[in-house]
Amino acid sequence: MQPDSPGLRRLATAIRLRAVRMVAPQGFGYLGQALSAAEQYAAVYGAAYRPGTDRVVCSPGHYVIAAYAAAAETGLIDEAALASYGQNGSALEAIGTERSPVPDYTCGSLGQGLSAAAGFAVADRLQGRPEVRTFAFLSDGELQEGQVWEAAMFAGHYALDRLTVLLDANNSQVDGPVDSITTIEPVAAKWRAFGWDAADLDGHDVAAIATELGMAATRPRVLICRTSTRHGLSCLPPDADGHFIKLPADLAEAAIAELTAELAR
Amino acid sequence: MERQRVLSPPYRTVVKPYGQALVELARHRPEIVCLTGDLTRQCEIDLFQAEFPDRFIHAGMAEANMIGVAGALARQGLMPFVHSFGVFTTRRPLDQIVNAVAYPRLPVRIVGFMPGISSPGGPSHQAIEDLALMRALPNMTVIDVADATETAQAVAAIADIPGPVYLRLKRGEIPVIFPDDHRISLDRAQLLTDALESDVALLASGMMVAPALATATTLNASGVAVTVVNVPVIKPLDTTTVLAAAGASQVVITAENHSIIGGLGSAVAETLAEAGLGRPLRRIGLQDTFAEGALTAQYLFAKYGLTVQHLVDTAWSALDCPGTPPSAHPPAGRADEYSPV
Repeated sequence: MQPDSPGLRRLATAIRLRAVRMVAPQGFGYLGQALSAAEQYAAVYGAAYRPGTDRVVCSPGHYVIAAYAAAAETGLIDEAALASYGQNGSALEAIGTERSPVPDYTCGSLGQGLSAAAGFAVADRLQGRPEVRTFAFLSDGELQEGQVWEAAMFAGHYALDRLTVLLDANNSQVDGPVDSITTIEPVAAKWRAFGWDAADLDGHDVAAIATELGMAATRPRVLICRTSTRHGLSCLPPDADGHFIKLPADLAEAAIAELTAELAR
Repeated sequence: MERQRVLSPPYRTVVKPYGQALVELARHRPEIVCLTGDLTRQCEIDLFQAEFPDRFIHAGMAEANMIGVAGALARQGLMPFVHSFGVFTTRRPLDQIVNAVAYPRLPVRIVGFMPGISSPGGPSHQAIEDLALMRALPNMTVIDVADATETAQAVAAIADIPGPVYLRLKRGEIPVIFPDDHRISLDRAQLLTDALESDVALLASGMMVAPALATATTLNASGVAVTVVNVPVIKPLDTTTVLAAAGASQVVITAENHSIIGGLGSAVAETLAEAGLGRPLRRIGLQDTFAEGALTAQYLFAKYGLTVQHLVDTAWSALDCPGTPPSAHPPAGRADEYSPV
């Protein structure tokens, strides 16, 4: 697949708009995750992922909103289903679970997705499926969990070259900015030290992400995507809590207007 | 209810019955893969590694990741057998077992060696609550087998369980309590003594089956009738047999090499209470205490109340028998034999 930059930029905006519409009925939710990761999901679902062949792991289950939005945009799920997001009895639970559609595996308990992604890649190797790629969405806060580094060491040791991590480095976790809680830098050097190739890039440059996803690899690869939980939505207040954004009706209306106008440009 | 034949103590011992059985099973089950957390020889899977190196995965000392990898392998149609000591396969990666294995109900076989205070290695190495942790998880089957015959048979028996299994195994020299023609049952707890009707129903699992049998021998000689029931499957518990044995006896005693909280004793207590079957119940096991490091397991079994004499004394007092309880004299075996303490 050739990355088509205008198309991918448009897909990222469309993901933001769908996320706003999913969160708006509740008035709050995991919108910041979709705003920071929109380009990563646009690049994977719009330019790299081959349905039926490749695998996607969504490690932080809170991000599944972005996967739902991307899947609705690319025809993988019925867009009507998005209206049930987070509602009682819905299969589209707000924190992804076993029954969540779209990703092959979604973790609600943070820090566990990379182990599953590595397991998928090992299974593909054991069972002779060299064509399959595994894309794992992770977040920077998860790097505090020791299991991520167990998995990184494991994947590095086995040189799982069909495994690509998209790390949403949005510097946001529940208690505040990640760098105010623990120092996770230097992130790229850590992954390289564990036997990975690492690229450190502007996570809102969707063309750059798509280009990185198209590169050949001999080792597992991590794309450290530097992002903001308010990106692409200038109407949000500067102090919005990126982990759990409040979106009262008037703000939701403004957000929808802003993103709709952006799509019409 | 058919009585299962047992051999007489001291029991002959064998080594690596699990490791051999897994190799045999893997010969005709190509989906089996074997994971180890840096305890390969101790978990008897050096045999598997030698036979099937391509299906053997070193996860290193990283149990959380090992469980996560195993879950993903199972999603792809493989059947992972995951190995470490019981403390490290349950306590340490509990959240991973919940989310990556139990909740998605995947056929991961979690094998935990060195149960309870069979390890003299102190609380860090003594799995005294592994059964409780695993029993609390929906979808999980929990097994604690008594001897080498059942160990070997359990490997094949669990292969076709659709969901996850926790298999708890003694490490090292494994006694042979059941004859070759014995057949393990995952559905039915098994009667090991002549009659269901008795004074004491003694329900035992794992390493406490041998002491339970010796207890019956001692008490029978003093005129106390004992029914011994082997309960290798802690969950799902065979409540039918538990209630039948309890209903035909005056008192019920459970015996497990585990905390009395959350394992066999708790499962039996719940069963009796929910059935409205009133029987005095005594639970032999770790009495809500951590143990300690020591030189030998025998010392710990004596100190923490898991000996034949403890069982005899407990039955004696539960039945309000007069006088001093009889002394238990489990036969002392040679160094290569096994006899309960």
